[in-house]
Amino acid sequence: MFDTTLTWNDLAFLAQGAAMTLAVTAVSVTAGTVLGIIFGVLRVQLGAVWAAPLTFVLDVFRSVPLLIQLVLGNAIQAIAKLGWAPFTTSCVVLSLYTAAYCSEIIRGGIEAVPATTRRAARSLGMTWWQDMRYIVAPLATRVSLPAWIGLTLGVMKDSALVLWLGLIELLRASQILVTRLQEPLFILLICGVIYFVISFPIARFGGYLEKRWSPND
Amino acid sequence: MKFSVLAFSLLATTVLTSQAHADKLDDIISSGTLRCAVVLDFPPMGSRDESNNPIGFDVDYCNDLAKALGVTAEIVETPFPERIPALMSGRVDVGVASTSDTLERAKTVGMTVPYFAFEMAVTANEKSGVKSFEDMKGKVVGATAGTYEAIALEQQVKAWGAGEFRPYQTQADVFLALSQGQLDATVSTSTVAQANVKTGKFPGIAVVGKAPFDIDYVALFTNREEYGLINYLNLFINQQVRTGRYAELYGKWVGGEVPSLSVNGVYR
Amino acid sequence: MLNYTFHWNQAFKALPQMLDGALVTLQIALLSMVIGLALALTLTAFRLSGNRILSGFATTWVEIARNTPALFQIYMAHFGLGNFGIHLSPYTALLVGIAFNNAGYLAENFRGALKAIPDTQTRAGRSLGMTPVQAFRLIVLPQMLRIAFLPVTNQMVWAILMTSLGVTVGMNTDLAGITQELNARSFRTFEFFALAAVIYYIIAKLVTLAARLLAARMFRY
Repeated sequence: MFDTTLTWNDLAFLAQGAAMTLAVTAVSVTAGTVLGIIFGVLRVQLGAVWAAPLTFVLDVFRSVPLLIQLVLGNAIQAIAKLGWAPFTTSCVVLSLYTAAYCSEIIRGGIEAVPATTRRAARSLGMTWWQDMRYIVAPLATRVSLPAWIGLTLGVMKDSALVLWLGLIELLRASQILVTRLQEPLFILLICGVIYFVISFPIARFGGYLEKRWSPND
Repeated sequence: MKFSVLAFSLLATTVLTSQAHADKLDDIISSGTLRCAVVLDFPPMGSRDESNNPIGFDVDYCNDLAKALGVTAEIVETPFPERIPALMSGRVDVGVASTSDTLERAKTVGMTVPYFAFEMAVTANEKSGVKSFEDMKGKVVGATAGTYEAIALEQQVKAWGAGEFRPYQTQADVFLALSQGQLDATVSTSTVAQANVKTGKFPGIAVVGKAPFDIDYVALFTNREEYGLINYLNLFINQQVRTGRYAELYGKWVGGEVPSLSVNGVYR
Repeated sequence: MLNYTFHWNQAFKALPQMLDGALVTLQIALLSMVIGLALALTLTAFRLSGNRILSGFATTWVEIARNTPALFQIYMAHFGLGNFGIHLSPYTALLVGIAFNNAGYLAENFRGALKAIPDTQTRAGRSLGMTPVQAFRLIVLPQMLRIAFLPVTNQMVWAILMTSLGVTVGMNTDLAGITQELNARSFRTFEFFALAAVIYYIIAKLVTLAARLLAARMFRY
């Protein structure tokens, strides 16, 4: 099994694929989180009724397979003649996908802050902004961060699907090497190990934070 | 004086309006690059060499076309399913991607005259005992999803009423599944089958015969309404054959008897 | 501006075919959940068993399932196992891949749920003369399932979404497979995939609704 024709050149090719995976993830999670925070706060501020259209749209992103979203996103940009590269299309779709989940996490975080605490802050003369900044943000972060780390890792793994649009990320790079070298198991195992090595430490860190910050332990 | 002003303004209007009406052919020439959609897991039409650079018949064909236009070629790798969105969104100008010219597809994109023709061959895993096309009855067979041969084979499997048909998204996956024994046999273009068997990377598979499907003519494609470009492409294909370049490329990538691109008894 | 004319009637003509695919999608998702739940309970039992090998096995399973892409797991089930001469049909490979993934995530959910049930309850049960198995089955398990019900529902929706990955291993009878085939034939990507998206959304919502109704009946206080 270790008698392989895989060269350093090919490993570098895999590393490039991994870099593409990380780049797509970084852009999408950053943009998705900013959007997610805005949407999350909006949903809390507007209340369930007024935020219903927004909630519905975000819910669609969580109820349709990402593969379908990517193909559809690509078709839409094609019809609108936007001429986006696969990287752009992938990042836009993944950002919205991330934002949909993130807004849910943020909303949960904000609602976990006791109303009494917030009223106390406001009655001390704090503005809405100060209340958000000094009371809600720190408390909500504690609730939301572990889930957010989970989301980030989820997006990193789901980003494998952008191969459908022709982007050469980690899994696609592995497939190309499998085509050329015909050692499916060995190359796929390397690919799996790379994913694991990226994901596992961060997942563990998230678990640690959850345990440390969990109020019940 | 008055005349020259009039002439100038007329000239200016002509230039401006003609710019506004520039078609895709003009756009390509003025931009200096021709962007071709090419499928790169479809040897010998398109694949990658050891340093993962694009090579193949389609790659060379795109380069020739760019040379004729006096521009530089840019190869845009597109998986089979993404050829059309790439064209629609203006990310590529022309598809040089072994695309079968079906009437169904011509409702969506503009097809040129055929630039290549495939014959269909049966490739089988030696353990399966498939020795001919008829032997495939009742076996697990597969092909690349959406291709001419996949559609024909699926219909055949339904007509036989026995066996199973599996479409894979790439040609590479079909041969991988075949060499692993997940598929007993596949129908693919004979050029692709021979190229894959020749690599020696798939032990235990062999081309066992021809499939009785019609010849699969493949065309270049661009946007449906770009008549100017389609005209140019048709002439280009004609010239490639006339100058012997088609035969030369065929010899370089495939070898053997050069298939005719014309159909007897009908104009196009 | 839009240089594209929509051919919707072509898509609507294919609707019955796509709905057949939706049934296959739902079937795979349900089966993968049943298998996944059984496996997850086994993995949880392994983790609680105190046996190093068993709990090590369970932990490895959970970590691999949670730290690699589902697409990778399904691809592995088809082409990876194929390397050993183990040939799973696309349907089975997809089912195995999703069930493997489900089991990992569900086992982790159960672990979280277990932590929320105080140890004292088990001890109280034991002191009433229950065996460890009885205490787990009668006291811990019902509460665990109640706490884990929402995550399990979410996983079911995930399972539906994951079935779409079957196209990469030659699946052509589920909703995504049929949609992709229609698309490859006609190049009408937008129409077919938009219709598929609507169907997926409806399935996901129906499943969520069914789960809520079930929960309301099962977990009445």
